Formats: sequence, C-alpha cells, structure tokens
Amino acid sequence: MGLLDGVSQGFAVALDPVNLLYVFLGVLIGTVIGVLPGLGPTATIALLLPLTYEIEPATAVILLAGIYYGSMYGGTITSVLLRLPGEAASVVTTFDGYQMAKQGRAGPALGIAAIGSFIGGTLAVVGLTLLAPSLASLAVSFGPPEYVALTVLGILLVTYLGTGSALKSLSMAALGLLLSTVGQDPITGTTRFTFGEVSLFDGLDFVAVAMGLFGVGEILHNLEKTDKVQAVTQKIKNIWPSRKDFRDSTGAIGRGSVLGFVIGVLPGGGGVVSSLASYAMEKRRAKDPTRFGKGAIEGVAGPETANNASSTSAFVPLLTLGIPANVVLALIFGALLVQGITPGPQLIEQHPDVFWGVIASMYIGNLMLLALNLPLVGVFVQMLRVRAGILAAFALLVTMAGVFSINNDAFDMWVVLGFGVLGWLMKKTGFEPGPLVLAFVLGPILERAFRQSMLLSGGSLDIFVIRPLSGGIFLLMAVIVVVSVLTARRRRRVFGRVDAEAVRTADLAADLASAGRGSSVLGSSGLDSSGVGTRDHDTDPRRPNSGES
Amino acid sequence: MNRLRLFAAVLAAGLLAAACGQGPGSSTDSYPSDQIRLIVPYTAGGPTDIAARALGRYVEGRLGQTVVVENKPGGSGAATYQELIASEPDGYTLSMTALPTAVLNYLVNDVGYTRADLAPVGVATQVPSALVVSSTSPYTDLEALFADARANPQKVTVGTPGATNTHAAETRRITRLYRVPLTVLPFNGNSEVQTALLGGNTTAGFVNVSQDMLPAIESGSLRVLAVGTAERLDYLDAPTFAEQGYPELTQSTTTFGVIAPAGTPDAVISRLEETMRSASTDPEVVAALDARYVPEQFIGSAELGRIMAGTEETFRDVANG
Repeated sequence: MGLLDGVSQGFAVALDPVNLLYVFLGVLIGTVIGVLPGLGPTATIALLLPLTYEIEPATAVILLAGIYYGSMYGGTITSVLLRLPGEAASVVTTFDGYQMAKQGRAGPALGIAAIGSFIGGTLAVVGLTLLAPSLASLAVSFGPPEYVALTVLGILLVTYLGTGSALKSLSMAALGLLLSTVGQDPITGTTRFTFGEVSLFDGLDFVAVAMGLFGVGEILHNLEKTDKVQAVTQKIKNIWPSRKDFRDSTGAIGRGSVLGFVIGVLPGGGGVVSSLASYAMEKRRAKDPTRFGKGAIEGVAGPETANNASSTSAFVPLLTLGIPANVVLALIFGALLVQGITPGPQLIEQHPDVFWGVIASMYIGNLMLLALNLPLVGVFVQMLRVRAGILAAFALLVTMAGVFSINNDAFDMWVVLGFGVLGWLMKKTGFEPGPLVLAFVLGPILERAFRQSMLLSGGSLDIFVIRPLSGGIFLLMAVIVVVSVLTARRRRRVFGRVDAEAVRTADLAADLASAGRGSSVLGSSGLDSSGVGTRDHDTDPRRPNSGES
Repeated sequence: MNRLRLFAAVLAAGLLAAACGQGPGSSTDSYPSDQIRLIVPYTAGGPTDIAARALGRYVEGRLGQTVVVENKPGGSGAATYQELIASEPDGYTLSMTALPTAVLNYLVNDVGYTRADLAPVGVATQVPSALVVSSTSPYTDLEALFADARANPQKVTVGTPGATNTHAAETRRITRLYRVPLTVLPFNGNSEVQTALLGGNTTAGFVNVSQDMLPAIESGSLRVLAVGTAERLDYLDAPTFAEQGYPELTQSTTTFGVIAPAGTPDAVISRLEETMRSASTDPEVVAALDARYVPEQFIGSAELGRIMAGTEETFRDVANG
C-alpha cells in the first residue's frame, strides 16, 4: 500500500462521524486536563483507559492520542496566566509566558503558543506520516537481540533523563523490572511469585499498576494540598499576535518543530525534555539572551512548539516497533493490547485502519485545537473553579469501576489501591513513578527477547555485539554512560537547581542553557522526562540528595 | 420484642433459602428456567468471545432464556475454570474452553482444577495448526527442514505463539518421538511469530491457521510445510505430517468447546448438547464461527470427553519441557 493510499484510508477512518466525535472529545478533554493543574495526561489516560475497551481500537487510540497532544495546548494557558504549569511540559512556558502576561501581553503569548503548537504538531504528523511506514518495514527484520538493545536503551534513557537523583530513577526502574517478573515465565511457562494465586499468573495487570501509581497516587497527593488556585480576572485581549511577534517567533517555531520531533522519537524523550531543550536552544541563539525570563516571545513559541511536536513523534516507536517511548505511550500500548492488537512492525499491514486512522486524526485534532484555543481561552480558565475534592472522588470511582471491568477480577482493584498508596508515598519521597512504569512495560519485552536471543545463540552473549544494529545501539549506550559520567559534576549542579521551586526562578534559564551545551547527546535534560504531570506544582523543598556540593 | 424480631429474621432467612432451593436447577425437566451465564476465558473481541456470543444468541432463541456472556481472562483460562467449578453444577453456569490449553494448564501448574472437575458439553470449532516457513526460506518441504535440523542441532528454531500452548508441546514431541533437534522459541501470539518469520529471526513457526494467519499464507508470504491434522484441509494446499511419515503428529489442533462443572445433571448436559448440535448446522452460527473451523460432524459431550482424556495422555510427558 502506497503512502497516498494509506493517508486517504486514514482520513476515511478519521472523518467517520464517530471518530470525528472522539477526536473532538479527546482534544477537549486534553485541553481541560491540561488547564487543571495536577491532573496531567498520564493520570487522565490511565483513568479513562478502561472506558475505551468497548469502542473500536482505532477510535480508542484516536481518543487517547487526542488527550495527549490536547493537554500540551491546555497546559500553556495556566502557565501563562497563573505561572502554574497545567502539566509538566509547560513548566518552561512559565518563564517568559507569565512575564508577558504581567506586561499585559497574555493574549499574544497564548496566541503564539497555540499557533506554534499547531505548526509543531502538524509538521510532526507529516514527519510521522513519511517516516513511520519505512521504519516499520525496516523493523520487520528486528530480531530478539535488537529488541533487547532497544528496551535497555529505553530504560537507560528514562533514568538518565529523569528528575533529580539518577540513583532514585535507577532504583525505580529496577523495581519496575522486578515487578514485571511476576507471573508465568515467558519461555518455560512455570509460574513465578504467584503464591498460587491464579490472578497473578499473567503478572500484575499493567493498567491496574499504572492507574494506581499515576491516577490514585496523584489523587491522594492532590488531596493533601491546601493551596487554592485563584481564578483569573484579567481580561485577555489581542490573542492574534502582531506582525513583529510573528517575525520574532518564526525561527523558534521552526527549530522547535524539528527539535521536538527528534527528541520525541527517543525513548524517554517527549514532553518536558523537548520544551527545556528548545528553551535552552532559543536562549543560546538569541542576540540578547538577557531578554529571556523577562517576556521574550521566542521563549514561549519555541518550547510550546517543541512539546507538541514531541508528543506526536513519540508515536513513531510505538506504531513501528511496538516499543512505547514514554509513559503516556505505554498506556496507549496497553489500550491496544487489551483490544487484542499487539503494536509492532506488522501493525501497518494488519491494522492499517488503526495505523493510518490515528495519524490522520492528528491532522484533524490539531486543527480543532487551534480553533478551540484561540477564541475559547477564557472559558477554559473558568474551569479552575472546579473543586479538587469533587473531581478526586469522581475520578476514584471511575478508576475502581474501570479496573474491575478489565478482567472482571476484584483482585485488580486491590492492585490499584496498593499501587495508589505506593505512588503517593513515592511522590512524597521524591521518587518518580515514570521509570518504574516504563520498566514494568519494557521488562517482559526485554526478558522474552533476551531469553530468545540466548536460545538463538546457544547461550552466547556475542549475539548482541555481532549483529550490527544491536551492537550499534549498545555502543551508543556506552557513549551515553561515559558522557554522563564525564559531565556528572555539571549535571549534578544543574539538577540541584532544576526542582519545582527553582523552576520558577528565572536564573534557572542560564543553567539550562549550560546543560544544553554540556550533554552532547541529547541536548538539555532536566525535569520529568515522561511528559507526566508529576512535578506540576509540587511545592516540596529541594531534594536532599540533589547534591549542591 | 427482640425475640419477635429474631423470629422474623429467621423466618425471612428460611424463606429465602427455600426460595433459592426452589430456584433454578432444582428440576431438570424445566431447564432452563432462568438466565444462563457463559464465561469466556479470553478477552472480549477475540475469537473465543465471538464464538461464545454467537452460540449464546442461538441458545437464547432456542431455549428462551437470556445468555449472559462474561469475559474472565487470566492464567490461560484458569481464572474462568476456577470460577466455573466454584459455581453450582446446575447448568446455569457454563464456560467456553480451549483444548489442549485447559489440560496443559493443570499438567504444568497447580491451578486448582483437573479434568475430573469439568463436564464436557460439546465442540464449537476446531482450529488446525501448521508448520510454516517464510516464502524466502531455503526449505521447500518438511524433509529438508528436518534433515538440516538433524545434521545441525541448535540450528533450527521453531517459533510458537506461547510457552505452554499446544504448539510448544507438539514441537517437543517431534524432538522426542522422531529425534529431530528443534529449539522452541516462544513468542507472544501468532502475530509476533509471523513477524519473526518474515524478518528471518526464526527458522520456522508452528502456529494456528486461524483467521489472522490465513491471509499471510494465502498471499504466499508464508509457506506451509505440513498441517497437523489427520486429513488434508480443503482450504490449505499442503500435506499433513502423517502422510510425510510422522503419523503421531496430529495433536496440535485447538478445540474450542463448551463445558460445565462436574456434577451437572446428565439431562441438563444432553439438553445443552442437543442445542449445540442444532447450532452447528444453523447458517448464522456457522458464519459467525467461520465455516472452515466448524467440524463436519458435530462433536458432542462424550467425544469431547475423549479428546480431553487423550490430550492429557499425549502431553503428560512433554508438558514440562
């Protein structure tokens, strides 16, 4: 099937009235939860996952994808108006966006963010359209050793790019890998750590674990907070940016699109990593870097474009390799598995409606978001008046009912509650759930592929080095490890500042820029890598071992 | 006053118990007098679920009672069978089953049930298996593949859709019965085996020729070396193992059927069996089940029981690898 056939088939799927409705629902929900601080895309998708079981697979992914990139738009609004990032990727927007709002230029800030997001998102969909099919046909030849290399790379990157202490990220990834060994051995079929409980034969249910850690953990954490969100009274005017604004932002939007796309494809990339990288890049390129942090429109346009582009390009590894690049994509991976579809190189052949339908829906979704965001900003802001307590009770109810419906098994409800408490404790102690969940998803892929490799090679580890692709990936990992050790001192200094408090200070920007120069492999690194709304407006003090030595 | 309340409570409880006793199942003549629960051991939307819903609709029309199809996946069906045998053996709780997985389950692990706990009702479909290679593979027939495996042990890998299913067990039987060294390479489902075959990451694959595999075979991207049935299939142009000199290799067919808890009255079982027999000739049901997989001769309770016993006999030694 040619590219044009594929795209036209995709639009046939996406323009189906039911799917159109779901695209709209997705981007609307995305915008709403982007606006609401605390409830990021991960928690929302985790909570809504069970509701997608009854709808068609393509429709389900269209909805969930819409929520993901929709939240990238919505997160901007509160960042600009309240200096309160609605989701993690918009943290960067608070630097200059809020300054612009203080100068009475909230309108242009929101306008350029929406336009940049639209351009970044759309360019990334074009990239996805062009790149994914050829990557998928290449990926058919990927064997077990390549999957070992890719999953290890994913786990390495998610811990490397993670927040704060690498030790904490690593320990969470290790815990995730351990938890993924519960259940039947993939090669011999014997049961492990099941204690004779049939509910554990297939392992802990991924959806239950994710809903617990992100959904319930987030809800519990939010209930503890007492700080009230003040609704905005300021009137927003002149949303359409001036000609000068456009002139200033064109370059930033272009660079943000490319940077966001590239970072989004990498395992562990996407979300906040891309927006931080874009900010660092814009500041470095600027003739007068001191304008940054004081309301430079490039500082809004670039990162907003980048986070949207990355949330789209993150679909590339999922749709072509069956490997989720970040936690949100891991949830969408789970949604497809529940539908009986295993994402992988064959997806484009076996389920072209899903593959192309989702891609086509992104063109439409981005257009809808532009239409939604430009005139309706004021309406969304009003949503901040919803009481958190009401939202939390409702979300918990949906979670418990939803998780039961996956396997009709009450055991899974206990899993959700258990992991909910764990997630809440982790947040309190500064451990990220992102690496845990991603390792939990990648663990079974890694284990099966590793043991298949051993069967193929007769027990020799050479197989990972001899095969050019897996050998190349392992070489890349070695480089990343060496570089990160060499730059460890500087990284420690940067990480020491990149926590939720410091993010709000403008002098951070300088550190970010140096991080961008420092780590040659991936540009800058900083906050939560997974596009997860976990650090949104944590107000916990600096972390104990962030090492400001 | 207290005593009166107690009396009322006891009376109410007694009436309730009596009512329950009077309820479904007490009389086999009037079966079914209440709705029937049909548990599916796999997720909604899969082939077993589709079969269950087609049968359920037919039974509703035929017996005049609602059939509630309920999915309870987990532990390769063990979750469903545990639930089944914990329910009253009155014909109001039934489940779908897949053989030989249902038998392999308890041969490999302690799953809380054995064949003795289950009462067979009848067979819905039988899906055969086949040994396939990629169309670009150098092996054009079974003998070439097996000869190479004998000459180079370790070389030939056989991808299977799972670790504990019929295909892995049957592949080990090939090695054991005919001394052909084959390495079982378990994947997660037919689709992954297919990808590995096309990418050259496994020499051969032993898979169900279910609806998801047939397109690749029909389009010629996969080559069938042997089918695992006693007779040739009319929809697949390929020889059987038996006619190529391996008469024992006929145990890889997956049988999907309906079972009840042991102890279900014979009259109830035969009522259900008769209903399934007439369902097997109903055009609508046959279309939903896919005509290729519906047995030409209906397989009833006794024969399904023999299949279960035979499966247990065949796989007892190889189940643990």
